[in-house]
Amino acid sequence: MDTELIKIDLSVDSGEGVIKELGQLMTGKEYVKQGYIEAVLKREAVLPTGLNIGGTCVAIPHTDPIYVNEAAIAVGRLCKPVKFHNMINPDEVLDVKVVFLLAVKNPQSQVELLKKLMALFQNIELLQQIEKAQKKETIAGIIEKAIQ
Amino acid sequence: MKSINILSVCGSGTVTSSMVAGKLKEKLSEKGYAVSTTEARPTEALNLAQSGRFDFITFTSPLTPGDYGIPTINAFACLTGMGEDEFFAEVLKTVESL
Repeated sequence: MDTELIKIDLSVDSGEGVIKELGQLMTGKEYVKQGYIEAVLKREAVLPTGLNIGGTCVAIPHTDPIYVNEAAIAVGRLCKPVKFHNMINPDEVLDVKVVFLLAVKNPQSQVELLKKLMALFQNIELLQQIEKAQKKETIAGIIEKAIQ
Repeated sequence: MKSINILSVCGSGTVTSSMVAGKLKEKLSEKGYAVSTTEARPTEALNLAQSGRFDFITFTSPLTPGDYGIPTINAFACLTGMGEDEFFAEVLKTVESL
């Protein structure tokens, strides 16, 4: 887990803003290729990725592996929640406090990792710890432990 | 060991379908099944389903209307964790009826 891909006090007013901020971190460190951000935004507009996990809402924007150099995950915690549409019911708008931007390289060979990430997104207790964490390192630690 | 072939469908045929596939493999292998999964987009699902290679479909993006010829199971519960037990119950029921 690259702590430089974690932002704990993001101040943007839209889901698009979060994707751009986190996407730039990933592009800057060449985890993803040029065009990744646009591809994520385009996908999010058609196939949104907001999830309501028992009252705590997260979003897991992502796109095709063709835009990815190296698998990575960026985390953005918002000062004020931003709107994401619900993956399950795209008409519904969710107030999202934590965004996990995913760069997936080989989904077939990363099934185990993705399954563990999914379990993390569904763990309300861990999500609350991420919401409250004072330091990036704490968030990195939670994620590393979850995907071990 | 009975082998099961599952077609896991999501929006881009990559991320959430792989997550669901991972969960299915874990749950069904606990029950003694050999599971193989293929991930696909909704637009590819009908052709793949009609190829006869799959026992059933799970989906986290709406399937395009058509005659799939095999059971289709909504896997939204896998995304939130809520209702997951019911989802796996339905999967098991489907698997046992094959």
